[in-house]
Amino acid sequence: MEYVSPEGLRLDGRRPMEMRQIRAEIGAVSKADGSAIFEMGNTKVIAAVYGPREVQNRSQQISSHALVRCEYCMANFSTGDRMRKSKGDRRSTEISLVIRQTMEACILTHLLPRSQIDIYVQVLQADGGTRSACINAATLALADAGIPMRDLVTSCSAGYLNSTPLLDLNYVEDSAGGPDVTLGILPKLDKVTLLQMDSKLPIDILENVMQLAIEGCKAIANYIREILLANTKQLEYRRGV
Amino acid sequence: MVGLSLGETHFIQGGIAQDLRCDGRKRLTYRPISVETGVIPQTNGSARVRMGATDVIASVKAELGKPSLLQPDKGKVSIYVDCSSTAEPAFEGRGGDELAAELSNALQRCLLGGKSGAGAGIDLSSLIVVEGKICWDLYIDGLVVSSDGNLLDALGAAIKAALSNTGIPRVQVAAGTSNDEHPEVDVSDEEFLQFDTSRVPVIVTLTKVGRHYIVDATSEEESQMSSAVSISVNRQGHICGITKRGGVGLDPSIILDMISVAKHVSEQLINKLDSEIASAEAEEES
Repeated sequence: MEYVSPEGLRLDGRRPMEMRQIRAEIGAVSKADGSAIFEMGNTKVIAAVYGPREVQNRSQQISSHALVRCEYCMANFSTGDRMRKSKGDRRSTEISLVIRQTMEACILTHLLPRSQIDIYVQVLQADGGTRSACINAATLALADAGIPMRDLVTSCSAGYLNSTPLLDLNYVEDSAGGPDVTLGILPKLDKVTLLQMDSKLPIDILENVMQLAIEGCKAIANYIREILLANTKQLEYRRGV
Repeated sequence: MVGLSLGETHFIQGGIAQDLRCDGRKRLTYRPISVETGVIPQTNGSARVRMGATDVIASVKAELGKPSLLQPDKGKVSIYVDCSSTAEPAFEGRGGDELAAELSNALQRCLLGGKSGAGAGIDLSSLIVVEGKICWDLYIDGLVVSSDGNLLDALGAAIKAALSNTGIPRVQVAAGTSNDEHPEVDVSDEEFLQFDTSRVPVIVTLTKVGRHYIVDATSEEESQMSSAVSISVNRQGHICGITKRGGVGLDPSIILDMISVAKHVSEQLINKLDSEIASAEAEEES
Protein backbone atom coordinates (compact mmCIF):
# COMPACT_ATOMS: atom_id res chain seq x y z
CA MET A 1 0.00 0.00 0.00
CA GLU A 2 1.19 3.48 -0.78
CA TYR A 3 1.00 6.00 2.05
CA VAL A 4 2.87 8.86 0.40
CA SER A 5 2.07 9.62 -3.20
CA PRO A 6 4.83 10.52 -5.68
CA GLU A 7 3.65 14.13 -5.46
CA GLY A 8 4.45 14.05 -1.73
CA LEU A 9 0.90 13.94 -0.41
CA ARG A 10 -0.43 11.61 2.26
CA LEU A 11 -3.68 9.69 2.22
CA ASP A 12 -5.56 12.58 3.82
CA GLY A 13 -3.89 15.19 1.64
CA ARG A 14 -1.26 16.38 4.09
CA ARG A 15 2.39 16.94 3.40
CA PRO A 16 4.81 14.66 5.30
CA MET A 17 5.65 17.37 7.83
CA GLU A 18 2.16 18.74 8.22
CA MET A 19 0.08 18.31 11.35
CA ARG A 20 -3.60 17.56 11.51
CA GLN A 21 -5.90 20.39 12.48
CA ILE A 22 -5.60 21.18 16.19
CA ARG A 23 -8.41 22.61 18.24
CA ALA A 24 -8.66 23.16 21.96
CA GLU A 25 -11.29 24.39 24.36
CA ILE A 26 -10.83 25.28 28.02
CA GLY A 27 -13.39 24.76 30.75
CA ALA A 28 -15.43 21.93 29.27
CA VAL A 29 -16.38 20.42 32.65
CA SER A 30 -17.70 23.11 34.94
CA LYS A 31 -17.46 21.16 38.18
CA ALA A 32 -13.81 20.26 37.70
CA ASP A 33 -11.08 22.56 38.98
CA GLY A 34 -9.60 22.55 35.49
CA SER A 35 -10.73 20.95 32.25
CA ALA A 36 -10.05 21.03 28.55
CA ILE A 37 -11.01 19.42 25.28
CA PHE A 38 -8.23 18.76 22.80
CA GLU A 39 -8.69 17.67 19.19
CA MET A 40 -6.02 16.51 16.78
CA GLY A 41 -7.83 15.85 13.53
CA ASN A 42 -10.42 13.21 14.36
CA THR A 43 -8.91 12.35 17.73
CA LYS A 44 -10.93 14.03 20.45
CA VAL A 45 -10.02 13.94 24.14
CA ILE A 46 -11.50 15.56 27.24
CA ALA A 47 -9.46 15.99 30.42
CA ALA A 48 -10.48 17.09 33.90
CA VAL A 49 -8.33 17.95 36.90
CA TYR A 50 -9.50 17.81 40.50
CA GLY A 51 -7.20 19.20 43.12
CA PRO A 52 -4.98 19.95 44.83
CA ARG A 53 -7.14 18.41 47.52
CA GLU A 54 -6.90 16.19 50.55
CA VAL A 55 -5.46 12.75 49.94
CA GLN A 56 -8.29 10.22 49.79
CA ASN A 57 -6.23 7.17 50.73
CA ARG A 58 -4.10 8.11 53.71
CA SER A 59 -1.55 5.38 53.08
CA GLN A 60 -0.61 6.99 49.77
CA GLN A 61 0.07 10.42 51.28
CA ILE A 62 3.55 11.84 50.74
CA SER A 63 4.77 14.35 53.29
CA SER A 64 7.14 16.28 51.04
CA HIS A 65 5.19 16.66 47.81
CA ALA A 66 1.89 16.13 46.05
CA LEU A 67 0.53 12.78 44.96
CA VAL A 68 -0.39 12.80 41.27
CA ARG A 69 -2.92 10.24 40.07
CA CYS A 70 -4.28 9.68 36.60
CA GLU A 71 -7.01 7.62 35.01
CA TYR A 72 -7.35 7.13 31.27
CA CYS A 73 -10.55 5.81 29.75
CA MET A 74 -11.86 5.27 26.23
CA ALA A 75 -15.55 5.65 25.46
CA ASN A 76 -17.25 2.62 23.96
CA PHE A 77 -18.01 4.52 20.79
CA SER A 78 -14.58 6.09 20.36
CA THR A 79 -13.13 3.60 17.89
CA GLY A 80 -14.24 2.66 14.40
CA ASP A 81 -15.50 -0.71 15.61
CA ARG A 82 -17.48 -0.47 18.78
CA MET A 83 -15.86 -2.07 21.78
CA ARG A 84 -17.09 -2.97 25.21
CA LYS A 85 -14.12 -2.62 27.50
CA SER A 86 -14.10 -2.07 31.22
CA LYS A 87 -11.78 0.36 32.91
CA GLY A 88 -8.41 -0.93 33.96
CA ASP A 89 -7.48 -3.06 30.98
CA ARG A 90 -3.79 -3.38 30.25
CA ARG A 91 -3.55 -0.65 27.64
CA SER A 92 -5.48 1.85 29.75
CA THR A 93 -3.29 1.13 32.76
CA GLU A 94 -0.14 1.62 30.73
CA ILE A 95 -1.32 4.90 29.23
CA SER A 96 -2.50 6.13 32.64
CA LEU A 97 0.98 5.47 33.98
CA VAL A 98 2.62 7.24 31.04
CA ILE A 99 0.44 10.31 31.49
CA ARG A 100 0.98 10.35 35.24
CA GLN A 101 4.75 10.17 34.94
CA THR A 102 4.82 12.82 32.24
CA MET A 103 2.65 15.25 34.19
CA GLU A 104 4.49 14.50 37.43
CA ALA A 105 7.72 15.66 35.82
CA CYS A 106 6.32 19.10 35.07
CA ILE A 107 4.10 19.80 38.10
CA LEU A 108 5.92 21.54 40.96
CA THR A 109 4.81 18.90 43.42
CA HIS A 110 7.08 20.11 46.22
CA LEU A 111 4.94 23.24 46.51
CA LEU A 112 1.87 21.17 47.43
CA PRO A 113 2.93 18.69 50.12
CA ARG A 114 0.48 16.12 51.51
CA SER A 115 -2.06 16.83 48.76
CA GLN A 116 -3.50 14.93 45.84
CA ILE A 117 -3.98 15.96 42.21
CA ASP A 118 -6.32 13.80 40.12
CA ILE A 119 -6.17 13.88 36.33
CA TYR A 120 -8.99 12.16 34.44
CA VAL A 121 -8.70 11.74 30.69
CA GLN A 122 -11.56 10.49 28.54
CA VAL A 123 -11.16 9.67 24.86
CA LEU A 124 -14.26 10.61 22.90
CA GLN A 125 -12.92 9.66 19.50
CA ALA A 126 -9.71 7.87 18.57
CA ASP A 127 -7.98 8.28 15.23
CA GLY A 128 -4.31 7.80 16.02
CA GLY A 129 -2.08 9.84 18.29
CA THR A 130 -4.37 9.25 21.23
CA ARG A 131 -1.81 9.40 23.99
CA SER A 132 -0.30 12.57 22.55
CA ALA A 133 -3.71 14.21 22.54
CA CYS A 134 -4.27 13.00 26.12
CA ILE A 135 -1.05 14.58 27.32
CA ASN A 136 -1.86 17.85 25.56
CA ALA A 137 -5.36 17.87 27.03
CA ALA A 138 -4.02 17.12 30.52
CA THR A 139 -1.54 19.99 30.22
CA LEU A 140 -4.30 22.41 29.30
CA ALA A 141 -6.49 21.14 32.13
CA LEU A 142 -3.69 21.55 34.68
CA ALA A 143 -3.07 25.09 33.49
CA ASP A 144 -6.79 25.82 33.71
CA ALA A 145 -6.74 24.52 37.29
CA GLY A 146 -3.95 26.93 38.17
CA ILE A 147 -1.53 24.22 39.25
CA PRO A 148 2.08 25.46 39.26
CA MET A 149 4.11 23.86 36.47
CA ARG A 150 7.68 24.14 35.28
CA ASP A 151 6.61 24.24 31.68
CA LEU A 152 3.81 23.06 29.45
CA VAL A 153 4.25 19.45 28.40
CA THR A 154 3.33 18.86 24.80
CA SER A 155 3.38 15.62 22.91
CA CYS A 156 3.38 14.58 19.30
CA SER A 157 3.90 11.41 17.32
CA ALA A 158 5.92 10.79 14.19
CA GLY A 159 6.51 7.81 11.96
CA TYR A 160 8.41 6.50 8.98
CA LEU A 161 6.61 5.05 5.97
CA ASN A 162 7.56 4.65 2.31
CA SER A 163 11.07 5.90 3.16
CA THR A 164 9.59 9.18 4.36
CA PRO A 165 9.42 10.58 7.90
CA LEU A 166 5.82 11.54 8.68
CA LEU A 167 4.56 13.88 11.37
CA ASP A 168 1.43 13.26 13.44
CA LEU A 169 0.26 9.85 12.25
CA ASN A 170 -3.42 9.17 11.85
CA TYR A 171 -5.05 5.80 12.43
CA VAL A 172 -4.43 4.36 8.97
CA GLU A 173 -0.77 5.32 9.05
CA ASP A 174 -0.48 4.04 12.61
CA SER A 175 -1.87 0.68 11.55
CA ALA A 176 0.48 0.38 8.61
CA GLY A 177 3.05 -1.48 10.67
CA GLY A 178 5.82 1.05 10.39
CA PRO A 179 7.69 2.59 13.30
CA ASP A 180 5.81 4.96 15.56
CA VAL A 181 7.61 7.45 17.79
CA THR A 182 5.69 9.26 20.52
CA LEU A 183 7.55 12.14 22.08
CA GLY A 184 6.75 14.52 24.93
CA ILE A 185 8.87 17.57 25.64
CA LEU A 186 9.04 20.62 27.85
CA PRO A 187 9.46 23.12 25.02
CA LYS A 188 10.99 26.05 26.89
CA LEU A 189 13.34 23.92 28.95
CA ASP A 190 14.04 21.80 25.86
CA LYS A 191 13.87 18.54 27.80
CA VAL A 192 12.33 15.24 26.73
CA THR A 193 9.91 13.83 29.31
CA LEU A 194 8.40 11.02 27.26
CA LEU A 195 9.80 8.87 24.50
CA GLN A 196 8.24 5.70 23.19
CA MET A 197 8.98 3.85 19.98
CA ASP A 198 7.92 0.57 18.49
CA SER A 199 9.03 -1.43 15.44
CA LYS A 200 12.48 -1.23 13.85
CA LEU A 201 14.28 1.91 12.78
CA PRO A 202 17.93 2.69 11.92
CA ILE A 203 19.44 5.09 14.40
CA ASP A 204 20.21 7.85 11.90
CA ILE A 205 16.60 7.83 10.70
CA LEU A 206 15.46 7.78 14.32
CA GLU A 207 17.24 11.08 14.82
CA ASN A 208 15.37 12.58 11.87
CA VAL A 209 12.02 11.26 13.07
CA MET A 210 12.65 12.48 16.61
CA GLN A 211 13.60 15.90 15.32
CA LEU A 212 10.38 16.00 13.35
CA ALA A 213 8.35 15.09 16.43
CA ILE A 214 10.13 17.80 18.43
CA GLU A 215 9.11 20.38 15.84
CA GLY A 216 5.55 19.14 16.11
CA CYS A 217 5.63 19.43 19.90
CA LYS A 218 6.86 23.01 19.68
CA ALA A 219 4.11 23.90 17.23
CA ILE A 220 1.53 22.47 19.63
CA ALA A 221 3.13 24.39 22.50
CA ASN A 222 2.74 27.65 20.58
CA TYR A 223 -0.91 26.87 19.94
CA ILE A 224 -1.57 25.95 23.58
CA ARG A 225 0.09 29.15 24.73
CA GLU A 226 -2.19 31.13 22.43
CA ILE A 227 -5.25 29.40 23.87
CA LEU A 228 -4.17 30.07 27.45
CA LEU A 229 -3.33 33.68 26.67
CA ALA A 230 -6.73 34.25 25.07
CA ASN A 231 -8.37 32.64 28.09
CA THR A 232 -6.43 34.88 30.47
CA LYS A 233 -7.41 37.97 28.51
CA GLN A 234 -11.02 36.87 28.72
CA LEU A 235 -10.75 36.49 32.49
CA GLU A 236 -9.03 39.85 32.75
CA TYR A 237 -11.83 41.45 30.74
CA ARG A 238 -14.47 39.92 32.97
CA ARG A 239 -12.71 41.12 36.10
CA GLY A 240 -12.63 44.61 34.69
CA VAL A 241 -8.91 45.15 35.12
CA MET B 1 -19.27 16.63 46.52
CA VAL B 2 -18.99 18.22 49.92
CA GLY B 3 -22.05 17.72 52.07
CA LEU B 4 -24.46 20.57 52.67
CA SER B 5 -24.84 22.27 56.01
CA LEU B 6 -28.11 22.36 57.90
CA GLY B 7 -28.63 25.99 56.95
CA GLU B 8 -28.14 25.22 53.28
CA THR B 9 -30.54 22.32 53.56
CA HIS B 10 -33.25 24.51 55.06
CA PHE B 11 -32.59 27.19 52.47
CA ILE B 12 -33.07 24.77 49.58
CA GLN B 13 -36.20 23.21 51.01
CA GLY B 14 -37.65 26.56 52.01
CA GLY B 15 -36.98 27.94 48.57
CA ILE B 16 -38.76 25.03 46.91
CA ALA B 17 -41.71 25.49 49.24
CA GLN B 18 -41.82 29.15 48.16
CA ASP B 19 -41.57 28.18 44.47
CA LEU B 20 -38.23 29.97 44.17
CA ARG B 21 -35.18 27.79 43.80
CA CYS B 22 -31.52 28.66 44.41
CA ASP B 23 -30.95 29.56 40.76
CA GLY B 24 -34.19 31.52 40.51
CA ARG B 25 -36.24 28.87 38.74
CA LYS B 26 -39.77 27.82 39.54
CA ARG B 27 -40.58 24.26 40.52
CA LEU B 28 -41.53 23.12 37.01
CA THR B 29 -38.90 24.97 34.97
CA TYR B 30 -35.94 23.37 33.21
CA ARG B 31 -32.46 24.80 33.08
CA PRO B 32 -31.32 26.09 29.66
CA ILE B 33 -30.90 23.18 27.25
CA SER B 34 -28.45 23.24 24.37
CA VAL B 35 -28.11 20.50 21.76
CA GLU B 36 -25.22 19.78 19.43
CA THR B 37 -25.34 16.98 16.84
CA GLY B 38 -22.65 15.18 14.91
CA VAL B 39 -20.04 15.61 17.63
CA ILE B 40 -18.47 12.18 17.03
CA PRO B 41 -18.07 11.80 13.26
CA GLN B 42 -16.98 8.16 13.42
CA THR B 43 -20.37 7.05 14.70
CA ASN B 44 -23.56 6.67 12.71
CA GLY B 45 -25.19 9.35 14.84
CA SER B 46 -24.19 11.39 17.87
CA ALA B 47 -25.32 14.31 19.97
CA ARG B 48 -24.26 16.32 22.96
CA VAL B 49 -26.79 17.82 25.34
CA ARG B 50 -26.14 20.33 28.10
CA MET B 51 -28.68 21.05 30.83
CA GLY B 52 -27.11 23.72 32.95
CA ALA B 53 -23.86 22.15 34.15
CA THR B 54 -24.93 18.62 33.26
CA ASP B 55 -23.23 17.52 30.04
CA VAL B 56 -23.84 14.19 28.32
CA ILE B 57 -22.89 12.66 24.98
CA ALA B 58 -24.93 9.99 23.21
CA SER B 59 -23.90 8.04 20.15
CA VAL B 60 -25.48 5.42 17.92
CA LYS B 61 -23.53 2.72 16.13
CA ALA B 62 -25.15 0.34 13.67
CA GLU B 63 -23.76 -3.11 12.96
CA LEU B 64 -25.13 -5.96 10.91
CA GLY B 65 -26.09 -8.92 13.06
CA LYS B 66 -28.49 -11.80 13.41
CA PRO B 67 -32.06 -11.23 14.60
CA SER B 68 -33.29 -12.69 17.83
CA LEU B 69 -35.04 -16.06 17.55
CA LEU B 70 -38.04 -14.67 19.39
CA GLN B 71 -38.51 -11.79 16.94
CA PRO B 72 -36.98 -12.77 13.59
CA ASP B 73 -38.69 -9.85 11.86
CA LYS B 74 -37.22 -7.13 14.10
CA GLY B 75 -33.83 -5.54 14.57
CA LYS B 76 -32.15 -5.12 17.94
CA VAL B 77 -31.41 -2.05 20.02
CA SER B 78 -29.40 -1.87 23.23
CA ILE B 79 -28.52 1.03 25.50
CA TYR B 80 -25.38 1.38 27.58
CA VAL B 81 -24.35 4.23 29.86
CA ASP B 82 -20.86 5.07 31.05
CA CYS B 83 -20.03 7.56 33.78
CA SER B 84 -16.74 9.22 32.96
CA SER B 85 -14.40 10.05 35.80
CA THR B 86 -14.18 13.59 34.45
CA ALA B 87 -17.69 14.16 35.80
CA GLU B 88 -16.93 13.19 39.37
CA PRO B 89 -13.83 11.80 41.13
CA ALA B 90 -16.10 9.27 42.80
CA PHE B 91 -16.64 7.65 39.39
CA GLU B 92 -12.98 6.60 39.26
CA GLY B 93 -12.39 2.94 38.53
CA ARG B 94 -15.63 1.08 39.17
CA GLY B 95 -17.16 3.90 41.16
CA GLY B 96 -19.55 4.90 38.39
CA ASP B 97 -20.71 1.38 37.53
CA GLU B 98 -23.67 1.30 39.89
CA LEU B 99 -25.09 4.61 38.70
CA ALA B 100 -24.36 3.69 35.07
CA ALA B 101 -26.26 0.42 35.44
CA GLU B 102 -29.19 2.18 37.08
CA LEU B 103 -29.29 4.77 34.31
CA SER B 104 -29.06 2.28 31.46
CA ASN B 105 -31.80 0.09 32.94
CA ALA B 106 -34.06 3.11 33.39
CA LEU B 107 -33.37 4.28 29.84
CA GLN B 108 -34.00 0.81 28.48
CA ARG B 109 -37.34 0.73 30.26
CA CYS B 110 -38.35 4.24 29.24
CA LEU B 111 -37.23 4.25 25.62
CA LEU B 112 -37.25 0.70 24.32
CA GLY B 113 -40.50 -0.63 25.70
CA GLY B 114 -41.07 -4.25 26.57
CA LYS B 115 -39.54 -7.44 25.26
CA SER B 116 -42.07 -7.60 22.45
CA GLY B 117 -40.74 -4.35 21.03
CA ALA B 118 -44.18 -2.77 21.16
CA GLY B 119 -44.06 0.83 22.29
CA ALA B 120 -40.44 1.30 21.32
CA GLY B 121 -39.61 4.72 19.98
CA ILE B 122 -37.99 3.17 16.91
CA ASP B 123 -39.80 1.00 14.41
CA LEU B 124 -37.73 -2.15 14.84
CA SER B 125 -39.14 -3.67 11.66
CA SER B 126 -37.33 -1.02 9.65
CA LEU B 127 -34.05 -2.49 10.92
CA ILE B 128 -34.60 -5.85 9.21
CA VAL B 129 -32.51 -6.65 6.14
CA VAL B 130 -33.28 -10.33 5.63
CA GLU B 131 -35.92 -11.78 7.92
CA GLY B 132 -34.49 -14.33 10.30
CA LYS B 133 -30.94 -13.88 8.96
CA ILE B 134 -29.64 -10.31 8.87
CA CYS B 135 -30.69 -7.21 10.74
CA TRP B 136 -29.21 -3.98 12.00
CA ASP B 137 -28.05 -3.95 15.61
CA LEU B 138 -28.17 -0.48 17.10
CA TYR B 139 -25.83 0.22 19.99
CA ILE B 140 -26.75 3.39 21.84
CA ASP B 141 -23.99 4.59 24.16
CA GLY B 142 -24.42 7.38 26.66
CA LEU B 143 -21.46 9.06 28.30
CA VAL B 144 -21.76 11.39 31.28
CA VAL B 145 -19.09 14.06 30.90
CA SER B 146 -20.25 16.51 33.57
CA SER B 147 -22.75 15.73 36.30
CA ASP B 148 -24.93 18.30 38.03
CA GLY B 149 -28.14 16.44 38.58
CA ASN B 150 -30.94 15.17 36.34
CA LEU B 151 -28.79 12.81 34.30
CA LEU B 152 -31.75 10.73 33.15
CA ASP B 153 -33.56 13.58 31.38
CA ALA B 154 -30.33 14.77 29.78
CA LEU B 155 -29.47 11.27 28.56
CA GLY B 156 -32.99 10.76 27.21
CA ALA B 157 -32.77 14.04 25.31
CA ALA B 158 -29.30 13.22 23.99
CA ILE B 159 -30.42 9.80 22.75
CA LYS B 160 -33.39 11.37 20.98
CA ALA B 161 -31.06 13.90 19.34
CA ALA B 162 -28.54 11.21 18.41
CA LEU B 163 -31.26 9.13 16.76
CA SER B 164 -32.31 12.19 14.76
CA ASN B 165 -28.70 12.50 13.62
CA THR B 166 -28.36 8.81 12.75
CA GLY B 167 -27.83 7.69 9.18
CA ILE B 168 -27.91 3.97 8.44
CA PRO B 169 -26.38 2.71 5.19
CA ARG B 170 -28.76 1.23 2.67
CA VAL B 171 -28.21 -2.48 2.21
CA GLN B 172 -28.72 -4.38 -1.05
CA VAL B 173 -29.16 -8.13 -0.89
CA ALA B 174 -27.58 -10.17 -3.69
CA ALA B 175 -30.37 -11.55 -5.84
CA GLY B 176 -28.80 -14.82 -6.88
CA THR B 177 -28.55 -16.34 -3.44
CA SER B 178 -30.66 -19.34 -2.59
CA ASN B 179 -32.88 -19.19 0.45
CA ASP B 180 -31.07 -21.53 2.79
CA GLU B 181 -27.61 -20.02 2.42
CA HIS B 182 -26.28 -17.01 4.25
CA PRO B 183 -27.18 -14.04 2.06
CA GLU B 184 -24.54 -11.77 0.64
CA VAL B 185 -25.13 -8.10 1.30
CA ASP B 186 -23.74 -4.96 -0.25
CA VAL B 187 -23.57 -2.01 2.16
CA SER B 188 -23.84 1.31 0.35
CA ASP B 189 -21.36 4.11 0.97
CA GLU B 190 -23.62 6.76 -0.52
CA GLU B 191 -27.22 6.17 0.50
CA PHE B 192 -28.40 6.49 4.08
CA LEU B 193 -31.72 5.93 5.77
CA GLN B 194 -32.85 8.20 8.55
CA PHE B 195 -35.18 7.48 11.42
CA ASP B 196 -38.52 8.98 12.08
CA THR B 197 -37.94 10.14 15.65
CA SER B 198 -41.31 11.77 16.18
CA ARG B 199 -42.33 8.81 18.33
CA VAL B 200 -39.22 8.78 20.50
CA PRO B 201 -40.33 9.86 23.98
CA VAL B 202 -38.67 12.32 26.32
CA ILE B 203 -38.06 11.63 29.99
CA VAL B 204 -39.30 13.97 32.68
CA THR B 205 -38.03 13.36 36.20
CA LEU B 206 -40.00 14.75 39.12
CA THR B 207 -38.00 14.89 42.32
CA LYS B 208 -39.77 15.12 45.66
CA VAL B 209 -38.17 17.53 48.12
CA GLY B 210 -40.06 18.21 51.32
CA ARG B 211 -43.75 18.33 50.47
CA HIS B 212 -43.32 19.46 46.84
CA TYR B 213 -41.83 18.02 43.68
CA ILE B 214 -39.64 19.75 41.13
CA VAL B 215 -38.36 19.05 37.62
CA ASP B 216 -34.72 19.17 36.56
CA ALA B 217 -33.19 18.92 40.01
CA THR B 218 -29.58 20.02 40.47
CA SER B 219 -27.22 17.81 42.42
CA GLU B 220 -27.76 19.88 45.57
CA GLU B 221 -31.51 19.47 45.23
CA GLU B 222 -31.09 15.78 44.49
CA SER B 223 -29.17 15.38 47.72
CA GLN B 224 -32.31 16.60 49.53
CA MET B 225 -34.76 14.36 47.68
CA SER B 226 -36.86 11.70 49.33
CA SER B 227 -37.80 10.04 46.04
CA ALA B 228 -37.95 10.71 42.32
CA VAL B 229 -40.27 9.49 39.58
CA SER B 230 -39.12 9.47 35.95
CA ILE B 231 -41.85 9.32 33.34
CA SER B 232 -41.25 9.04 29.62
CA VAL B 233 -43.92 10.66 27.47
CA ASN B 234 -44.11 10.79 23.70
CA ARG B 235 -45.56 13.45 21.45
CA GLN B 236 -48.99 11.79 21.44
CA GLY B 237 -49.14 12.11 25.21
CA HIS B 238 -48.76 8.39 25.84
CA ILE B 239 -46.80 7.18 28.85
CA CYS B 240 -44.01 4.91 27.62
CA GLY B 241 -42.31 4.00 30.90
CA ILE B 242 -42.09 4.91 34.56
CA THR B 243 -39.23 4.50 37.00
CA LYS B 244 -39.22 5.40 40.66
CA ARG B 245 -35.99 5.97 42.60
CA GLY B 246 -35.40 6.63 46.27
CA GLY B 247 -36.51 4.49 49.16
CA VAL B 248 -39.27 6.63 50.65
CA GLY B 249 -42.80 5.61 49.77
CA LEU B 250 -45.17 7.87 47.87
CA ASP B 251 -48.90 8.28 48.17
CA PRO B 252 -50.63 6.84 45.08
CA SER B 253 -52.60 10.02 44.49
CA ILE B 254 -49.36 12.00 44.44
CA ILE B 255 -47.95 9.64 41.83
CA LEU B 256 -50.99 10.13 39.60
CA ASP B 257 -50.63 13.86 40.09
CA MET B 258 -46.97 13.62 39.12
CA ILE B 259 -47.84 11.73 35.96
CA SER B 260 -50.30 14.36 34.78
CA VAL B 261 -47.82 17.14 35.60
CA ALA B 262 -45.09 15.27 33.72
CA LYS B 263 -47.37 14.95 30.72
CA HIS B 264 -47.97 18.69 30.77
CA VAL B 265 -44.29 19.58 31.23
CA SER B 266 -43.24 17.18 28.48
CA GLU B 267 -45.19 19.13 25.86
CA GLN B 268 -42.96 22.17 26.34
CA LEU B 269 -39.88 19.98 26.63
CA ILE B 270 -40.64 18.11 23.40
CA ASN B 271 -41.26 21.33 21.48
CA LYS B 272 -38.12 22.93 22.88
CA LEU B 273 -36.07 19.82 22.17
CA ASP B 274 -37.38 19.36 18.64
CA SER B 275 -36.58 22.96 17.73
CA GLU B 276 -33.11 22.64 19.27
CA ILE B 277 -32.46 19.41 17.35
CA ALA B 278 -33.69 20.96 14.10
CA SER B 279 -31.43 23.99 14.50
CA ALA B 280 -28.48 21.78 15.51
CA GLU B 281 -28.95 19.64 12.41
CA ALA B 282 -29.26 22.72 10.23
CA GLU B 283 -26.12 24.18 11.77
CA GLU B 284 -24.23 20.94 11.20
CA GLU B 285 -25.17 20.83 7.51
CA SER B 286 -23.95 24.36 6.86
